[in-house]
Amino acid sequence: MAEKLLEIKNLKQHFNVGKANEVRAVDDISFDIYKGETLGLVGESGCGKSTTGRSIIRLYDATSGDVFFEGENVHGKKSKKDLKKFNRKMQMIFQDPYASLNPRMKVMDIVAEGIDIHGLAKNPAERKKMVFDLLETVGLNKEHANRYPHEFSGGQRQRLGIARALAVDPDFIIADEPISALDVSIQAQVVNLLKELQEEKGLTYLFIAHDLSMVKYISDRIGVMYFGKLVELAPAEDLYKNPMHPYTQSLLSAIPLPDPDYERNRVRKSYDPAVHSYAEGEDVQMREITPGHFVHCSVREFESLKATASRV
Amino acid sequence: MEKILQVKDLELSFNTFAGEVKAIRGVNFDLYKGETLAIVGESGSGKSVTTKSIMRLLPEHSAEFKNGEILFGGRDLTRLTDKEMQKIRGKEIAMIFQDPMTSLNPTMPIGRQLTEPLLKHQKISKAEAKKVAIDLLRLVGMPKPELRMKQYPHQFSGGQRQRIVIAISLACNPQILIADEPTTALDVTIQAQILELMKDLQKKIDTSIIFITHDLGVVANVADRVAVMYGGKIVEIGTVDEIFYNPQHPYTWGLLSSMPSLDAEDAKLYAIPGTPPDLLSPPKGDAFALRSEYALQIDMEQNPPFFKVSDSHYAATWLLHPDAPRVEPPATVIERMKKFPGSRYYEGSRV
Repeated sequence: MAEKLLEIKNLKQHFNVGKANEVRAVDDISFDIYKGETLGLVGESGCGKSTTGRSIIRLYDATSGDVFFEGENVHGKKSKKDLKKFNRKMQMIFQDPYASLNPRMKVMDIVAEGIDIHGLAKNPAERKKMVFDLLETVGLNKEHANRYPHEFSGGQRQRLGIARALAVDPDFIIADEPISALDVSIQAQVVNLLKELQEEKGLTYLFIAHDLSMVKYISDRIGVMYFGKLVELAPAEDLYKNPMHPYTQSLLSAIPLPDPDYERNRVRKSYDPAVHSYAEGEDVQMREITPGHFVHCSVREFESLKATASRV
Repeated sequence: MEKILQVKDLELSFNTFAGEVKAIRGVNFDLYKGETLAIVGESGSGKSVTTKSIMRLLPEHSAEFKNGEILFGGRDLTRLTDKEMQKIRGKEIAMIFQDPMTSLNPTMPIGRQLTEPLLKHQKISKAEAKKVAIDLLRLVGMPKPELRMKQYPHQFSGGQRQRIVIAISLACNPQILIADEPTTALDVTIQAQILELMKDLQKKIDTSIIFITHDLGVVANVADRVAVMYGGKIVEIGTVDEIFYNPQHPYTWGLLSSMPSLDAEDAKLYAIPGTPPDLLSPPKGDAFALRSEYALQIDMEQNPPFFKVSDSHYAATWLLHPDAPRVEPPATVIERMKKFPGSRYYEGSRV
């Protein structure tokens, strides 16, 4: 098995703790991310997938649980210096390329912000060269460096967001719905760019999205979230061919595909959490059904899933 | 079939500080009774502007009809006064907007928003309107409609709000319903419910729907016919099977191949290179030519007319001209064409 880059253990992120409107956005989830892979995270809005990403990178302080990056805990007490070290290794690409770039800064300064903070350039000439190289890497050119964000199209802005994330030479990038604000033809351009960069630089991605066909295309493994819990985690191909958790099945059956014949015959399944009929205090957790394929289930469900899986 | 709406040679420009933006550059289509016509295309292709011009919702001071007519019930909508248009809007032609969060009034209980079009367009009493409104809520699958009438938009979820918007748009049994990306802001599971709801309602009240979206999966699900727009023009129009299984325009090919499929193991996703044309100074020939690897010399100079593929299928590309060289569409498109009787790649009967 590949080397673990990130270990997320019993991560909990609750808001308004102790109040009537307490929200358990992320409720006790654990998973690993291996070096060089893309882990996709899907689920409907409000299921906690973005919060998971933000807690991993410590934009929120986790309520409880640990995130280990190369064996070191990201959460817990950290000096400014230590945090800076993590910030350089982990970067984030945000959903909305219109809102995530400062409209009053030139592209040169937006991309170089990380370089400046971490003191990666020795002199202004080197800084300039680094920015030019980054722009080229993401398919823009150096003339773009003197422009402002509003002069770019959505796809180009998302390229700027990627260039900014790459500026500090990170190992791990969290991409939070990086393509959902873009047009179909432009989405493919950005996804191809992300894939190329991954091969070139050996990056590891956490790819958060609700467009399941795109997630399948880019991910090696996929995690499905439902109401703050991870309900299924499996290799991408396996998840689509053989979804085991009823919520995953319902989610997959809801995707419309660009194929009229398929659409005429598609049967949608709906998910009712009551089907599990878990007893009070029943031990429900992630269990491995087939190698690498985990499902959130009780012991009873585990047995029956295992029996079904062995028959196939 | 009965034509309910005819759009003929429509041209519309916006006068901006930067100059004249030619947003629609000659659009022609008919809408038949009871059908769903999907309009697809990327942002800026003119799909929303086309429908907003039918509803006359564009700002009068900057939007200008340059040419063409929109015929509805024997009248040309481009020439009606505001007063006349108000009688049509919401009554005979209704619209559902993309964002259910912003298209409802947050300071009004939804009951009042539902009865508003009824009181405006139909001579009925408040009590009757209330009854109709409750029935409408029931029709769109809202539980406890009597109680819900008194609640405000923020007390509903996104999917419920879109159901309310649909209920409002259906209040006066419109002949045409224009849905501008009605499910783009919703999750897939909720999207599936809303699409099913719209299809059910269409069967019940027999309206025609113009459905704008950029999600080709949704198109395959709801549409009877599809119009593909690019650079302010319709570049291809046909039945849903013709567009998905026998597409002719290189832009349609590009759109269909840039969507990853769930079963295929694609090595690299096809991306249409470049960006959409700037409609301040639209290109002389085929607007897509600069992004197309199939462009011919004539594409740069002359705009292609519509070539007939079948009685219901037309495409504006010089590739269909008898003198044009034969080109191979992308592999994924050939895969699609294999399923279509009448295409040159057809392989046996469809399963």
